[in-house]
Amino acid sequence: MRLPPVHGEWIDRSKIITFTFEGKTYTGHPGDSITSALWAADIRVLGRSFKYHRPRGVLTMANHDVNALMQSTERLNVRADVTPLVDGMALTAVNTFGGLQSDKASILGAFSRFMPVGFYYKAFYTKQLFPMWERMFRTLTGLGKVDFSSPRVRTPKNYGFCDVLVIGAGPSGLAAALAAAAQGAEVLIVDENARVGGSAGYIGCTDSERAELHAAQLSEVQAHPRIRIMTSTYAAGYYADHWIPLVASDVMTKMRAQSIVVATGAYEQPSVFRNNDLPGIMMASGAQRLMHRYAVKPMQKVVVLTANADGYRAALDLAAFGVEVAAVVDLRAQTKIDPSESESQVNAKGMRILKGHCIAEAIAGKQGKSVAAVVVARLSASGEAEVAGQETIACDGLVMSVGWAPTANLLYQAGTRMRYEKSVEQFVPDVLPAGVFACGRVNGVHTLTARHADGRRAGSMAAAHAGFGVAELIEVAAESECPTHPWPIISHSSGKNFVDFDEDLQLIDFHNAVQEGFDNIELLKRFSTVGMGPSQGKHSNMIALRILARLTNKEPQQVGTTTARPFFHPVPMSLLGGRGFTPERRTPLHAKHDAHGACWMPAGVWQRPEYYRVEGQSRLECIHGEVAAVRTSIGIIDVGTLGKLEVIGPQAAEFLDRVYISKYANLKVGMTRYAVMCDESGVIIDDGVVGRLAEDHFYFTTTTSGAATIYRELSRLNTMWGLDCGIVNHTGAFAAVNLAGPRSREVLGTLTDTDLSSGAFPYLALREAKVAGIPARLMRVGFVGEWGYEIHVPANQGVALWEALMAAGQQFGIRPFGVEAQRLLRLEKGHIIISQDTDGLTSPLEVNLDWALKMDKPFFVGQRSLKIIASKERKQQLVGFELAADFSGTAPLECHLVIHKGEISGRVTSIAYSPNVGRNIGMAFVTPELAKQGTQIAIRITNGSEVKATVVRTPFYDPENLKQKETT
Amino acid sequence: MKIMTCPINGARPVSEFFCWGEIRPMPDPDTCSDDEWAAYVFNRNGAPGVKKEWWCHTASNTWFIAERDTEKDVVLNTYLFEGEIR
Amino acid sequence: MISSQPLSPIHGLLEAMHPLWSSETSEAKRVIRIDQRDEERAAILGLADLSHQNRAGAKGRGTAEWLSKLGVTIPSQANSWCPLPSGGLVARLGNTEFLVENDATLVEKIMQTQRAPGVYPVLHQDAAFGLCGARVNELLLQTCNIDFRMLDAQPSKVVLTSIAGVGITILSKTNGKYPSYRIWCDGTYGIYLWETLAEIATELGGGCIGVDAVQ
Repeated sequence: MRLPPVHGEWIDRSKIITFTFEGKTYTGHPGDSITSALWAADIRVLGRSFKYHRPRGVLTMANHDVNALMQSTERLNVRADVTPLVDGMALTAVNTFGGLQSDKASILGAFSRFMPVGFYYKAFYTKQLFPMWERMFRTLTGLGKVDFSSPRVRTPKNYGFCDVLVIGAGPSGLAAALAAAAQGAEVLIVDENARVGGSAGYIGCTDSERAELHAAQLSEVQAHPRIRIMTSTYAAGYYADHWIPLVASDVMTKMRAQSIVVATGAYEQPSVFRNNDLPGIMMASGAQRLMHRYAVKPMQKVVVLTANADGYRAALDLAAFGVEVAAVVDLRAQTKIDPSESESQVNAKGMRILKGHCIAEAIAGKQGKSVAAVVVARLSASGEAEVAGQETIACDGLVMSVGWAPTANLLYQAGTRMRYEKSVEQFVPDVLPAGVFACGRVNGVHTLTARHADGRRAGSMAAAHAGFGVAELIEVAAESECPTHPWPIISHSSGKNFVDFDEDLQLIDFHNAVQEGFDNIELLKRFSTVGMGPSQGKHSNMIALRILARLTNKEPQQVGTTTARPFFHPVPMSLLGGRGFTPERRTPLHAKHDAHGACWMPAGVWQRPEYYRVEGQSRLECIHGEVAAVRTSIGIIDVGTLGKLEVIGPQAAEFLDRVYISKYANLKVGMTRYAVMCDESGVIIDDGVVGRLAEDHFYFTTTTSGAATIYRELSRLNTMWGLDCGIVNHTGAFAAVNLAGPRSREVLGTLTDTDLSSGAFPYLALREAKVAGIPARLMRVGFVGEWGYEIHVPANQGVALWEALMAAGQQFGIRPFGVEAQRLLRLEKGHIIISQDTDGLTSPLEVNLDWALKMDKPFFVGQRSLKIIASKERKQQLVGFELAADFSGTAPLECHLVIHKGEISGRVTSIAYSPNVGRNIGMAFVTPELAKQGTQIAIRITNGSEVKATVVRTPFYDPENLKQKETT
Repeated sequence: MKIMTCPINGARPVSEFFCWGEIRPMPDPDTCSDDEWAAYVFNRNGAPGVKKEWWCHTASNTWFIAERDTEKDVVLNTYLFEGEIR
Repeated sequence: MISSQPLSPIHGLLEAMHPLWSSETSEAKRVIRIDQRDEERAAILGLADLSHQNRAGAKGRGTAEWLSKLGVTIPSQANSWCPLPSGGLVARLGNTEFLVENDATLVEKIMQTQRAPGVYPVLHQDAAFGLCGARVNELLLQTCNIDFRMLDAQPSKVVLTSIAGVGITILSKTNGKYPSYRIWCDGTYGIYLWETLAEIATELGGGCIGVDAVQ
């Protein structure tokens, strides 16, 4: 039932919202949550429990339980208690068979004897029967249905910065924010609710003095220039150095604070008694949220179960909104000498108070779907309900105010050491990490004025820690009464007294678990699944801990808590995914390749043309066409992705000699040399070409994927060695192409005045010259095995170079060639590709690079390891192989194994059909005994059959290397 | 996420850095035994405690030393290498 | 057709917007304006390509002295910059690397002068962008994990960090009412970075602009 307008209500009565739930239409107002609108319409059953499908209603109204878990057309996991009502919503309850009202699966409740805690681990072992059980489980379980046609939503993520982050905008949080801002800090307050104020907005608001205090604090906070507020936003976890993800409905902010104040409050705890889960039975704070925020009357006639002043406060609030208070049942036999102010007021109003009593059980109404009465009993000294003198009181609602557990999740994640404080019967922070402060209920401070003081204390300290002002010494008064009852748990022979509402765990389940030996908190949690449901133990962990303590004769401090892991509430994947930044590098010639019909492939973070599409030709035909152009006339490939480094200075040569396996001190100016780099274990990590521009100036290339790593590691080595030289990374600064083929010299000759004759520009030489008027570095290289030039120019003139070469090569049918063509060309020459023909354990010796290895240098990286490797027996050798010229069938692929005498004796590293050689050629690692030329080897392909191949010498094509260099 | 302080560029999120690993003195490759050399190349100290490590601020390619308590996850000190390990 | 002028790393992207290009061949080709709404976008969040500007760089322990001898007044602090009389700037990246930009005479001089001991010339082929407008900080908060309040407090500071996963150099050129930043990255990341920033800028109500509208 909707109440008349309540001061400070969140709903906008001037507008009506229409929605459906379980097929029926209801109305509400903007500002309502789904549950508040339904409860206002007197709907009491909001969901069905996980295991027994029992009817459930409002419990915490704070997202500390998932009794009201619904599904809308667009979204799963709608927590109705805290989800804003939106016009047109169509909602259904999850986890029901045949609808919420007549859920057929509720029959399971009758079989609960056969489904004790942990029964899953014991009942479904039979291998034959398991498929049947699996099908049954898949039908029965699950909390919603995934709609595979949901659109993919990406939402941006933001970074954020502040000096002091205050988590929680209740009385202590707001006080902390004001204190911190007063000292000059930039403060951000976050609160998961739609409005700030916390419990001061719904506990005791009928008290005009409290209401005024609350309003004054709110307006001061909202007016402060250094305080920012984010509502409907929760802090999802604590990460190193005060890094907190703040999650709102459509954006996640990664907030970095200099210090944080955790003012997160506490979880109100239920009392455990038979049928404590009937709709109508809720936390006192839940009822007060309904009244103060949504102007909803929680029930008509209530019994208040309490053990603290807050319960009496609740009784007064309920009465103020027209709820008949049938009785206040106080678990405590006697309060201290002075009753709390609230208790005095309740007394003064003539409400019935039963001290030293408990609720033995709740009784359902005729339909079994909501509470109709409660049985009140005297509480014995040992915490049992006395049978004699039990009284049944009719009511349609019960509110529980028996205690609080601190919302300490983020404190735990930050590494806080907590201790159990007996005076308030809760865990409180004992040792906080630097920069983390706590105040209010989470800190064991419950009285309103004390919470203000505690907040000021924490805020001042937080500001001081962030470098603003000095921490003020503030005394916080101790609690005059204990707000939490240490044992609000009433056993019953017929059970159904619930501890964890998410998981349908009853008191007996804990007895059984401990009896079976799962008697420490970590084991108990995992065996019973307490705290493992969607609310992650917010309303159940502390009670479970108390039960375990009693069953094992320990103190709560000794029992300990399990690890509270992020996230505090579930975070949608779209918020975590964010925009998704995936950096990509492109050479300056990218648009040119597009224009030529390039088919792109990723190469690390780069994009490279795999081949160029020709209409009417297959991929393989295009590749072979490119290869043919290079072998017979002229081709051009973009090699701009290669790493390009320079080392300059008097000790530049010495540096190169230390990092590569060959010698470079003796490299002539104007010449290049193949370069192999090893790591300390003697494994090849990179290769390239070193060119000498001057005595003290080298220009060298690395592999595409190695460039950044090599530059970084070389920088580290020189930081350590302190040689007189500097390293520059010009990878992105130069565009580079390889012009290759018998016509390459002729074509290049039309664009440069430099003497390209063999004498003036021999094989492997390096020259600086102008090409088409562009200053360039030219190298004669042999990777693809044709006469060719690698040409490097500043990146912003790469396009001009390309266009000039293409124009000049037109008459010879110049073709751009891609990565695949290049791989085939180099394979025909038997050239290795690092990490294709080498792996994480390959040394230069295994790939026939002995000639490059100069062990007589004083030192180079990997030298000592290579000495050791050289002295040991060789395990494998890279060889060239070919299939028969008339081979027809499925050719082997890379990584297919070489099998010899039934043993694995090697593997294929590269293989392709070569049109120039006229057969399938490749390279493979084989055991040394198979490495001799002419040896027949067998390669096992995917279907298990074996293909015969012959070990041959390389190069396969132009074995004397006549095409790429001078013949005389 | 953790903050690491580059001696040149100041405090930055750890995602801007590359950790090379613990500084390990190299035995003389000419005189040490094969076993000593293998231990240097392949073995790493896994015990928690204060370690001196090579770190690189990748955005600026600044290599420096960080002293880190790996048990408490606290960065004690960061400084540029100056010829010798302090 | 053979292009004779050096091209920005994002030349293709600019062409596709059919902008108004500069016409004098004596200076580097650049986009003067995208369309008549340039100023409108610039006030909210404008992204301009400034890659065409001339630049030269060098690094090493001898660079500070070498540049001083060439008549450059260099910033004394690491990671800081100062303007040049010509309207360009000289930035000190870290401790021993320097970037000189937008001063044709000086840049030419630097590129022609023989290096000295401890001086290692750096060829700059950066993608360089200008970001300006009232909502610039929102874009930065989406892409960069640096607290830019620090740059506002120290306007001569240069920051080497990463944006959207790409290593960049950034400095603040705010001198009007809206924040204004300059960003440099490796030219091969230029297309990716431009497209990423342009998408965010457009979402926030701004977009691409020509050099004339840069604040």
